[in-house]
Amino acid sequence: MSALVAHLARFAGSLRVAGVRVSLSDEIDAAQALSIVDVTDIDEVRRALLVALKIQARDRAAFEQVFASAWLGRTAAPRHGRQTVRQRSTAVPRGLQWRGAEAAADETPGDRTEGGTPGYSPRAQLRHRPFDALSPAEIVAMEQLLERLTLRLAAEESRRYVPTRSRGLIDLRHTLRRTLATGGEPLALARRARAAELPRLVLLCDTSGSMESHTRFLLCFAIALRRVVRRLEVFAFNTTLTRLTPWLAPGKINLTLKRLAEGVPDWSGGTRIGTCLGDFVARYQTACVNSRTTVVILSDGLDRGDVEEMVRAMRAIHARARRVIWLNPLLGDPRYEPSARGMQAALPYIDRLASAHNLESLERLVTYLAA
Amino acid sequence: MIATAVFLARSMRKPLLVEGDAGVGKTELAKVLARMLDTELIRLQCYEGLDVHTALYEWNYQRQLLRLRIQEQPGEEPARLEELIFGRDYLLERPLLRAITRAEAPPVLLVDEVDRADDGFEAFLLEVLSDFQVTIPELGTIRAQHIPYVVLTSNRTREIGDALRRRCLYLYIEHPTLEKEVRIIHARVPEAGPRLADQVGKFVQALRARPLAKPPGVAETLDWTRALVTLHREALDAETVEQTLGCVLKDRNDQTELAQAALTTLVAAAQATE
Repeated sequence: MSALVAHLARFAGSLRVAGVRVSLSDEIDAAQALSIVDVTDIDEVRRALLVALKIQARDRAAFEQVFASAWLGRTAAPRHGRQTVRQRSTAVPRGLQWRGAEAAADETPGDRTEGGTPGYSPRAQLRHRPFDALSPAEIVAMEQLLERLTLRLAAEESRRYVPTRSRGLIDLRHTLRRTLATGGEPLALARRARAAELPRLVLLCDTSGSMESHTRFLLCFAIALRRVVRRLEVFAFNTTLTRLTPWLAPGKINLTLKRLAEGVPDWSGGTRIGTCLGDFVARYQTACVNSRTTVVILSDGLDRGDVEEMVRAMRAIHARARRVIWLNPLLGDPRYEPSARGMQAALPYIDRLASAHNLESLERLVTYLAA
Repeated sequence: MIATAVFLARSMRKPLLVEGDAGVGKTELAKVLARMLDTELIRLQCYEGLDVHTALYEWNYQRQLLRLRIQEQPGEEPARLEELIFGRDYLLERPLLRAITRAEAPPVLLVDEVDRADDGFEAFLLEVLSDFQVTIPELGTIRAQHIPYVVLTSNRTREIGDALRRRCLYLYIEHPTLEKEVRIIHARVPEAGPRLADQVGKFVQALRARPLAKPPGVAETLDWTRALVTLHREALDAETVEQTLGCVLKDRNDQTELAQAALTTLVAAAQATE
């Protein structure tokens, strides 16, 4: 029995290495399960482990592989996905290098305004400056601005009820409770109304080469958003789709960017928007998108992939989401027309196509999200 | 797989969290379990905004108020009155409380579509499922007479919190294989002939292999078979399939896409004997 437990512990360890989340309590469950089932039947063992270790559908492939090597003695073939990601170089791509904090220390934007025109605000100017022309100090300032901006994201109605002083349904429970004070006479009616709820957001961020100068800032925007929007999911895509949400630590930009640099395959490579969006629909849509979710896609729409695939994915997202917003940094250029093939194909499924090249445009977006 | 999971959940006395695509039979699992154990199925359907008062208990305020009015006359002990109106008679038992207080034998408690309830409710559920006791301030703590068999289902419209997941055993139900699906058709729609069942099974399996927005579940297969039986069809043909496609494909884009391209070939493939 103890040999079995030791083997189980090793197996759980290998699962963790393969990127499957297994906790100690899962292992205890598994040990208990194995003591119940017929351990000479390897298929029964496999099924029991699947159930007791709570292996979700997305981790199934990894599980089968680890199981094959640990319980059947087969050597696992090299795996794609998370493991290959780990082996990548840890050099931070150019677009993600962050020197903001140090740079800001010796050159704060406030210093430069001294002696300037009265009423001149560096903030006002910052709002119109495109991201790719920003100094690190300005980015720090802009970040603070962003943070205040995102706080303005207004609330919307939830389906939950909370007590209210104004109009609403009569809450009998609380009304009765109050009658204690008035000797059993219900004098004041307690009421309840729908609670306010912050919007849900899904951000799909293009990290391909053509977006390089914008990516860092848009990711900062995502990190700032994360503080106010509790239900925010962030994905990066270029040739493959990566879920970034677990890596976004609010307030730790350096750490986050470093993690992103290590974790996202093919930074600044090519783009296959259609495939990636299709992947999103297949793997994450049901979990992340509902009728209250706003989906924001940050991309320039320059794509050499299959347009048909893109249309199918966009249609699926549009059908489920509350709104679909496409932010295109190229729109900031007055000469730009959304004529790229992919962009054209996606247009019917976009509720709003907006630019995202400077802070003013992001500010407009926040107002729109709050509406 | 399903049998193992149910067996483990029963012997380890743990709730079973069932996930899978719509229509694969998650809810049915609980119903069948209740029938098998010959016990009551208590169902709690979750939705957004579901709160403790709908899930656990609520006082019957209208009745309490009436009672107070009737007893308005002096002479009645106030303390006795309070005891009376906060007694079991004035308590509305909601599913969770009923599952705990059932006296005869452990019931099957089905918490359906738990992903639709919000996080706060999930935390509350966690508490109930770990201790199987609830506290009602006016009555005191009520402990479970028998620990119920708990089945939770989720459509994955939201990630279930880790804490709740850890508390349960986990089962992911996939779409059945062709052989199993045909057997399900025979079991649930015995009026369908072997040829029809076989062709329907093959057709639906082929449909699921295509990129559809809403792939048909077993529920759809059964509905469709029943529809075909009602129409006195003994085998599939392109025309019938087109007329009854709404039973299997419940999305307009899926329907048009299929009608344009592959309907006849799919029917031909289903008709072909192996």
